[in-house]
Amino acid sequence: MLDDGSNSVALSVNGLTRRFGGLVAVDDISFDLPAGRLNAIIGPNGAGKTTLFNLITGEIRPDAGRVEVHGQNITGLKPYQIVRRGVSRTLQIKSVFTGLTVAENVRAAVMAHEGVASPFRPVASYGAVKQRVDNLVEQIGLAKHLNTQASALSYGDIALLEIALALANQPKLLLLDEPVCGMGPQETEQTVETIRAISKSVDVVLIEHDMEVVFAIADEIIVMAQGALLARGTPAAISSSAEVQEAYLGAPEEAD
Amino acid sequence: MTAKIISRAALILTFVALAAVPMVVPMLSSPFWIDIIAEILIWSLLAASVNLLLGYVGLLSFGQALYFGVGMYGAALSVIHWGAGFWGGLAIGIVAAMLMAAVAGSVAVRLTWHYFAIITVVFSLILYFAAMSAKPLTGGDDGISFSAPQIFSLGDLKLSLADQSVQYYTILLVVAGIYALFSIVVRSPLGVRFVAVRENNRRAALIGINVYLTRYVAFILAGALAGASGALFAFFGRYASASYMFYHVSGEAVVWAIVGGAGSLLGPLFGTGLLIVLREIISAYWEHYLFVVGALTILVVMFAPRGLAGLWSDALQLLFVSKGTARSDNLVDTEARAQPKPATNVTRGG
Repeated sequence: MLDDGSNSVALSVNGLTRRFGGLVAVDDISFDLPAGRLNAIIGPNGAGKTTLFNLITGEIRPDAGRVEVHGQNITGLKPYQIVRRGVSRTLQIKSVFTGLTVAENVRAAVMAHEGVASPFRPVASYGAVKQRVDNLVEQIGLAKHLNTQASALSYGDIALLEIALALANQPKLLLLDEPVCGMGPQETEQTVETIRAISKSVDVVLIEHDMEVVFAIADEIIVMAQGALLARGTPAAISSSAEVQEAYLGAPEEAD
Repeated sequence: MTAKIISRAALILTFVALAAVPMVVPMLSSPFWIDIIAEILIWSLLAASVNLLLGYVGLLSFGQALYFGVGMYGAALSVIHWGAGFWGGLAIGIVAAMLMAAVAGSVAVRLTWHYFAIITVVFSLILYFAAMSAKPLTGGDDGISFSAPQIFSLGDLKLSLADQSVQYYTILLVVAGIYALFSIVVRSPLGVRFVAVRENNRRAALIGINVYLTRYVAFILAGALAGASGALFAFFGRYASASYMFYHVSGEAVVWAIVGGAGSLLGPLFGTGLLIVLREIISAYWEHYLFVVGALTILVVMFAPRGLAGLWSDALQLLFVSKGTARSDNLVDTEARAQPKPATNVTRGG
């Protein structure tokens, strides 16, 4: 991180475009997100938010445009290469290693990050890895579930585990796709607290439908509609914008 | 933990029993069974090859007989044409199978599930027909035979495969060595990557794992296992035949692995053992023994999807569930391929 100053850019997207057949899912989007802020992307269903994340993390290739993270061009790289450049993400449908315990889940992520792939040395002999696993599990608040299989965790805990997997990478940029989707009020509160804590040391961008959460924690909000950037500003500015109101409430099938 | 100690003891007992076979079997029954057990050991490596792919990285291959056949010819041809010995022939068989897997795998691992299964069958069929028609080299269906080379000679001490006990112990030594290597690999960080890819390949990529490369490495290692199986079988039968490359041989290995328990280290050894012993016993009385194999396989898939190894670990779990740190995994897990915790699998089914 050469440009770690407060006014540097965490994520820069330039002319990013992706078509699926006749549908332009992401339509020539450009923005710079400043580092050191918690940024949120909102928009009605089908606005292209998740596709935008998929383009940033390399899971979908853009038809045009460029993505830079902390000044480093990552356009066209494969997902695992982008992860190794310090970009982590969680998915809308929570994605962990269901058949493994919490410790094994995080260990896989830490080992992948450390780049250890020896076919001979026993996993148990990596003391430093174990230390990091314990720290991460502690940090995310799952210490009491260390040896619980992921499939036996509650939904909220699975979401936290997924965040721990994303943090194992020591990311410079963390993309969260609907982190509180499907959670009860208590789980939501706990997750929001975790995200807030993480955002102090990592640049976080989140997609979220829960407006209460977004307006509570975001420093800056980007509004997407029909694949394009509709508005951008502070929570206060966005909540009073007529344009945004219309995007959400204007078309009858998107009213919810 | 008690369950762990019992599993360890069972593993040691299994090895001791296998080591005692040439001495004990002639007292109880016909020495013919020594060869059957040797055959089980050899074929179990082919099942282990399926198991590495299905149980550890989540890829179902119906084409492992191809690498078995390449290992077989690698050993046979190197003995016939280059005068290779047992160890040289074995090594050449394994390396040839790995090279074949490196070629086929470079295409196959880009696909998953049924597409992967189909491409592995297609590759094995292409090479099967090629080997069948290349009669001058392979002998086609009739195969090629050779005489067994010496295993070891030091002064007056000469060991040869012609001696049934020497042959048995040689096979046991090689097979046990390969299982030991297999267990080291699945307990290593590479094994962690395998299981991550099996459990969730999208998340695996999102923690920075190169999924294709991981699958590719596993595919080549699985080729080595199948190649070792084929090379040993060539020495065991003193011949090689293209008929072993046919896909029903691959299918049989899949059945052995699933009945034994994919995702456990030694499950497939017991699956192979059970089904080969059944074949030998039943086929003496009834030529349609495959009905029994089919019925048994269906029963296992329906009622014990984690195979014999799963039954074993469930039994231990029941016995010791009140003691030690019981894991809920074995009770909720219904997927055969989702056998958890590879690090302890070495003690399962043992």
